[in-house]
Amino acid sequence: MTFQKFILGLVVAFGLPWLLLIVIPFGKMSNLEAVSFDEDEDGRVGVYSSDQQHYQFGSAVYGANGCYVCHTQLIRPTYAGSDMWRDNWAGQNKDADDQDTRRESVPQDYAKETFAHIGINRVGQDLSSVGYRLEKEAASLGLSPEAFIYRRLLAPRDFVGKHWSTCPSQPQLFKKASPFAKSQNVVTFENAEGELQAYVPKKEAKALTRYLLSLKKDNQVPASMSYKPAK
Amino acid sequence: MSNDSTKSIDAGLRTAIDKSVSNPVMFFFTSGAVWLAVSVLLGVFTSVKFHTPSFMECFGGLTTGRAYAAHINVLVYGWCFQAAFGTIIWLMSRLTRKEFKSSATVLVAGHLWNVCVGLSLVGILIGKSTGVPWMEFPKFSWVIFLILYLFIAVPVFTQFRVRQGGHVYISQWYLLAALFLFPWIYGTANIFVHVIEGSAVMAAAVASWYKFALIFLFFLPIAFSAAYYIAPKVTGRPVYSYNLALLGFWALVAIGPWMGMQELVGAPIPAFLPYVGATATILFFLPAITVGLNILMTIKGHETLAKQSPALRFTTAGTFGLLALGGFAIWLNLPSVMKGTQFTITGYGFEMLALYGVFSMLIFGAIYFIVPRVTQREWLAPGFIRLHFNISVYAVIAIVIGSILFGILLPGVAQEQFSASWKSSANANLASDWFNTVTWLCALIANVFFCFHLALMWARLGRHSKHPTLLVDHHGGSAHGADGKVQNI
Repeated sequence: MTFQKFILGLVVAFGLPWLLLIVIPFGKMSNLEAVSFDEDEDGRVGVYSSDQQHYQFGSAVYGANGCYVCHTQLIRPTYAGSDMWRDNWAGQNKDADDQDTRRESVPQDYAKETFAHIGINRVGQDLSSVGYRLEKEAASLGLSPEAFIYRRLLAPRDFVGKHWSTCPSQPQLFKKASPFAKSQNVVTFENAEGELQAYVPKKEAKALTRYLLSLKKDNQVPASMSYKPAK
Repeated sequence: MSNDSTKSIDAGLRTAIDKSVSNPVMFFFTSGAVWLAVSVLLGVFTSVKFHTPSFMECFGGLTTGRAYAAHINVLVYGWCFQAAFGTIIWLMSRLTRKEFKSSATVLVAGHLWNVCVGLSLVGILIGKSTGVPWMEFPKFSWVIFLILYLFIAVPVFTQFRVRQGGHVYISQWYLLAALFLFPWIYGTANIFVHVIEGSAVMAAAVASWYKFALIFLFFLPIAFSAAYYIAPKVTGRPVYSYNLALLGFWALVAIGPWMGMQELVGAPIPAFLPYVGATATILFFLPAITVGLNILMTIKGHETLAKQSPALRFTTAGTFGLLALGGFAIWLNLPSVMKGTQFTITGYGFEMLALYGVFSMLIFGAIYFIVPRVTQREWLAPGFIRLHFNISVYAVIAIVIGSILFGILLPGVAQEQFSASWKSSANANLASDWFNTVTWLCALIANVFFCFHLALMWARLGRHSKHPTLLVDHHGGSAHGADGKVQNI
């Protein structure tokens, strides 16, 4: 076999999957056709678009701190996993209107990010719709969602019923402050040893918090886009 | 010309070739080994953080996520690439029977490569990671790595093109394929992830594809190239079946580019992509068994040599690792199993089996063969090599049990019990995490010995002897085998 034929063999063997797996699907998925709601099936009209907010810096902080190592952001169809049936993972079991908003992930859920943090491991829970869970937990403790997340980022295991968590603390996202500082920005709490701790969130902590609170990937999609089986 | 004078000319040529590549090869092996030790240390740290998150919490920036990214990237770009470069340069020079003329260029590129790895590691640790698995190094680094790669690879290609004709051996096929495909793979991944603004979820699919393409179309071909060189050289017999070798090569080249996207099964990407990836990964069993059996059949009948020769011992172990990798490639990609393994530590275990249990073990074999030739010295301490081998094997076994098997049986099963609390699923990871600590502690001990031994060899402190260093002492005789100059093989 000549060198030219050898290289040609490599080009064909690699080039074909390169086109079919990478180039064409990437092009197609980057230019998705708009999908319309069907009035009969969906009870509404119009074109579907994601209502996920645009927090690229928060997404970058999420990636830079390796949150994707332990958390996923993907609700798989039921043939691929049971994510849909975990409480409040895929949306809300019951929203304010008593509706079940849970659904599997769609490409538009990631449309406003540069990279979809699908994740590699589920040591922690899926975060596709963690915004709802954080708001509920904050309310149950009488805290604002932001204050609750700051505390969770600083001392993830210092909450009742969370001592088993292996989530690491993220002090690098905060600056230490005096426990007696009088500023609305200061987060104060008692650590496990009963010592009063005070921190000021850096811009990274604020961006990550906004990003986490925005994760509510359960807006209604046209029935033609999502298969939502009965439990 | 008599046989004796031909042999003498051949030995002289080999010595000249070995001298011409000595500096870049030893540089890549030694600096790679240092990065391996750093990566393994980060592996210990990460695994401890997984089961004991308060461990060294005072070092704010060194969180589990950052340390994990640093561990993987240093392993891949610090150790695997540099070990591969050293092996490529030596093998291509020996197989083309020509002295290497570009040592200085390659050495400069090698130094800059290390600077880039170091700066990128700092980047990850201070929070500048891209957050893209296996591509976490800050964005600036990829163009630099690609340019430096070209400064290393082009001279090797040139070395091949200016050879004086003759048969092209299977090892060269693997080297050329890896060298040719890497820029295509690396460029594609980085352009689609970092440059083109398009589908975020397809960017994630490309990142998964990149991991597998890098392992199966760059690292493993170079390791196979080394195994196809070492096994016949040490046993003194030709490859068992050359046709089988060619079949294995083309099977890998045809199957490898389709692998990887099975990691995104259930993600909102075209549904065929993950299933094509799973099918191709299952089919990897074909090149795995073809290469594995061919190497083992070449060694068959020389089991004593496989015990005595450090190079052949590591090559044999790496080949068994390859057969295990082929078996797991089938099992882990069955649709019924994928449900429970997609988001568990099993994927990490599979990757580590490929990088440590196969690639690194085969490359360790190559290093134990190459270093005495390029330094003109013999390995100092058979005990160090024996320790390196034994503890490395324990580490690989711990990877298989702790990450792959426990990953499936514990968190894999628990994650599917959707009515149970998440606590039970999270706690199911602990056994794997503790096993991983043992794995990387074993690897750390093994590689401290390896690194130290290699550094002594680089410092020309090896034994000046006519006896190769062997691992088995015969009936109280020399541990260094029969007389014979190292250049004679």
